[in-house]
Amino acid sequence: MNKQGIVYTVLFAFLVSFVFVLLLASADHLTKVRVEENRTIAIRRAILNALALPSATPEEVERNFETVETIERGDTRIYRTVIDGRPVVAKEFSGSGLWGTITGILGVTADLQRTTGIEIIAQNETPGLGARIGEDWFKKQLVNERIVDGRIRVGSAGDGDYDPENGIIDAVTGASRTSDAIGVILDTELKTLSELIGGNQ
Amino acid sequence: MSSPGQILKENVWTNNPIFMQVLGICSALAVTNLLTNTVIMTLGVTFTTAMSSLTVSLLRNYIPRKIRMIVQTLIIAFYVIIVDILLRAYLPDISRQLGPYVGLIITNCIIMGRMEAFAQSNPPLLSAWDGITSGIGYMAVLMTIAVIRELLGFGSLFGIRIMPANFIPWTIMVSAPSAFFLLGIVIWIGKTIMNREGAAA
Repeated sequence: MNKQGIVYTVLFAFLVSFVFVLLLASADHLTKVRVEENRTIAIRRAILNALALPSATPEEVERNFETVETIERGDTRIYRTVIDGRPVVAKEFSGSGLWGTITGILGVTADLQRTTGIEIIAQNETPGLGARIGEDWFKKQLVNERIVDGRIRVGSAGDGDYDPENGIIDAVTGASRTSDAIGVILDTELKTLSELIGGNQ
Repeated sequence: MSSPGQILKENVWTNNPIFMQVLGICSALAVTNLLTNTVIMTLGVTFTTAMSSLTVSLLRNYIPRKIRMIVQTLIIAFYVIIVDILLRAYLPDISRQLGPYVGLIITNCIIMGRMEAFAQSNPPLLSAWDGITSGIGYMAVLMTIAVIRELLGFGSLFGIRIMPANFIPWTIMVSAPSAFFLLGIVIWIGKTIMNREGAAA
């Protein structure tokens, strides 16, 4: 057959696409269950981290997650547990970042006096700049931070504000738009949580 | 036909993809502010270039000329998606850290460049070796830039603090413009040395 002819070209294009797509579909199918399990564990680990119940191994995640109660409020799902006699709740959030949606979990004490932690599940911010909101130094700022007048403020850029009483966290250096986005997300989420749980559960 | 030793020398030095061919520049700017990201990105590019070169070389006598570039793109995309699927299933934490980097390997011009310049007209094993050595040449330049950027931008290497506590990080090193300057300097130094070698010979 003429290898430069139209019939051979069309047949070759069809065959080569079919084979490679079949291989990809098979690889995807074979790993589907595993990927789904990884995703579930990642979300549960994020919830536990936000509730200040860090869990390293998948077994630990499963064990600790059994202590968490899932409450449905309309379309919203709230995760609630009690740590050292203090009720804490967490909720998934999503808001606009610089390049895309930032999704994560925010944990607060049920009386809405302090945050317990934050975990970022997905974000598309600039690598090395805005994407640093997913790094530990940034997230640790929201561990046990006091909520002042229903807000946590994002201040000037820095290496992390670890004073738990001032209700202020440092912005990421060189990523003012992403830091502003985090400020808006925190405002919105604290307001939503206040409406959902009323700050007294 | 070139010997494996010659191919190594050409791809790492005399015809280096970054400072001689000026290919793969976008990723050189994007990923070099942290060494860990640079290592994983360059390993991904090396694997994809080697496997795609091998596959294109195996099929080179059957691919119609008219559709050769689209077939090459299909093959490159296939290997990149395989890397992504494997990372998501077996190394979920690394997969999450890398985010969009893995998918971006598809757009790296070095891979397509090696298909067209080498794999299309050379035997499979030699083509795979050409892919590996091109990856090493790319890795060498990116790692050099990443060492300087992470050290001065964050005061660390692979996330481990190296600079003294009173070191003030150079914010510009974290952002993309610093990679432009450093890449320019690397190209300047590389070409100067090469010109001297040429003059001496």
